[in-house]
Amino acid sequence: MDIVIQIVVTGTTLGAMYALAAVGLSLIFGTLGMFNMAHGLFMTIGAYAAYAAAGQLGLPLVAAVVAAMAAGAAMGVATHLAMVRFMLRSKAFETNVIVATAGLAILLQDFVLKLFGGYPYPQPVRVEGVVRLFDVAVARQSLVIVAVALVLIGAVAWLLLKTRFGMAIRATAINREAAQLMGVRTNSVYLQVMALAGALAGVAGVMISSLSTLSPSMGGDPLLKAFVICVVAGLGNAWGAGVAAFALGLLEAAIQYYVGVRFGFPVMLLLVIAILIWRPQGLFGTEKVVRL
Amino acid sequence: MLAGELNKHLAIALVIAVGFAAVPLFVGERYLLGEVIVFFIWAMVAMNWNLLMGHAGVFSLAQLLFFACGAYGVAMGTQLAGLSIWLAIPLAAFAAMVLALLIGLACLRLTGAYVALLTFAIAEMVRILIVTDTHCFALIQNNCQQLFGGSTGFSRFSDFGFRPILRGDWIVGHYYVVWAVFVLSLVALVVIIHGRLGLAFRAIRDNVGYASSRGIDRQRYQLIAFASSALLTGLAGAVYAGHFRFAGPSLFEFSTLMFVLAMVIVGGLGSTWGPLVGAGVMMIVVEFAKELGDARSIVLGLSIVLFVVFLPKGIAGGVGGLRAIISRPAGQNRSTTATDTHQ
Repeated sequence: MDIVIQIVVTGTTLGAMYALAAVGLSLIFGTLGMFNMAHGLFMTIGAYAAYAAAGQLGLPLVAAVVAAMAAGAAMGVATHLAMVRFMLRSKAFETNVIVATAGLAILLQDFVLKLFGGYPYPQPVRVEGVVRLFDVAVARQSLVIVAVALVLIGAVAWLLLKTRFGMAIRATAINREAAQLMGVRTNSVYLQVMALAGALAGVAGVMISSLSTLSPSMGGDPLLKAFVICVVAGLGNAWGAGVAAFALGLLEAAIQYYVGVRFGFPVMLLLVIAILIWRPQGLFGTEKVVRL
Repeated sequence: MLAGELNKHLAIALVIAVGFAAVPLFVGERYLLGEVIVFFIWAMVAMNWNLLMGHAGVFSLAQLLFFACGAYGVAMGTQLAGLSIWLAIPLAAFAAMVLALLIGLACLRLTGAYVALLTFAIAEMVRILIVTDTHCFALIQNNCQQLFGGSTGFSRFSDFGFRPILRGDWIVGHYYVVWAVFVLSLVALVVIIHGRLGLAFRAIRDNVGYASSRGIDRQRYQLIAFASSALLTGLAGAVYAGHFRFAGPSLFEFSTLMFVLAMVIVGGLGSTWGPLVGAGVMMIVVEFAKELGDARSIVLGLSIVLFVVFLPKGIAGGVGGLRAIISRPAGQNRSTTATDTHQ
């Protein structure tokens, strides 16, 4: 019983972090049709922004998290303004933008390395201590991570479903031209989506680094998992990404316990490939019928 | 028309092959010959990636996994199984092709960005599994050696064996071995790209719907492209291992992937000779960046971003565009094969 609780706690914590990363990634794909290889670096930069705000400027923890969100959002906006908007109308945008954001990723990672160095700093933005849950010691930070993820994802859901702002995003995702004809300024929608996803990535970075350490390459591993989550959910399906993140987090925790830490991701990936052979459009995706 | 293009490009391949065959007659410095060998290897990888991505439209990020598979095949074949290197090289390339067939069967049911993400995830997964392996498989000179070499990889296994024969000039032997594989790769690529197979690849790339209505099975042809480019890439990896006596996880880490991707993008996606030029250009640029200090990543990132945004068809596309501008006043129509620019 204790083991099951332990696995559930670990899995939910992992799932919460993956969800923060995957929902943003999925949101960008849904509206812009772009797969953002630099999303991992948005997380890294968010984590370092929180580190700088709390550790070097001495700001309170909440302010440091806000700083991480601001940094992530700024990166998202800058990426769109400096690069993506020039490519949106080009042929083969879907693949070109993967290449371009991958180039951006290696560039940003180098800047972080040059600015902060490669030393694995601990993340100061975290709460210490444990609470007991049915005889199992649970780190307070895990609870904070799950709570923050649920609040932020709830807030994003509210934004998307209940506000005019969200309606514009959903309309653009469904059909760009039709949304434009209805008076939606798609360019500002793109900026808002990039800012929103960047902010989520920034928080995800803080949470991920609070459990391990800061390093310029810390975004690589969570990005890979967010990729897999988005693919299995069906690209661009933000809801599915959220659900799949928690499911795969739990699965990974269980495999790590029963099979070995090394095999958490490989088994997860094999399962995902099996799912995709069965449903190529993803678990929650709908099949598109294309007329010539 | 098809045969004309094929002959023209075979002639270009011949000129390139003869040109490079003559290099050791004039250049004796070991360093320079070594650089040309490295150029052969990266050019092979880049051109094969271009066949897959630029012509067949399969956006695979697992190309360096097949390169590494070739290198690991030679390392494990010679060191663990005790094979002769001349047997290990074709076996390793074949292993890369089999691996590609398996991955392709799973991934090519999907298209576009999905393929990119899955192939990337698979390559990373293999790399992480190799790096985190600590279980000793064999003892080599009293050192623990993991089955797949662990985080350090394999080194100091037998190379092509020219050192006792050619003594100080062993590098010339290496040069001609890699050159022969390079020329083989060049000819194979030209025959594929400018033959019926290449035509089918580009038809799928440009419009899947119309291509399948003409009886071209997307999955089948993309699998052919996937496997054949993996075979040639694995061959490049095998001679890499034979030349450097090294195979390790750094062969397919992200920065190596970006290095080769930059060659393909800068040279020109979808051209015939662009990636060959791109390989040379990026090697020279990165060499200069190293001298300026630690600027390799910056140069790689910047060149990828700038070329994708401003010159998505790379140097080859730029030259093709210039040619079109120059020839227009002469009253010629723009070439109908504008999507397939030639260097």
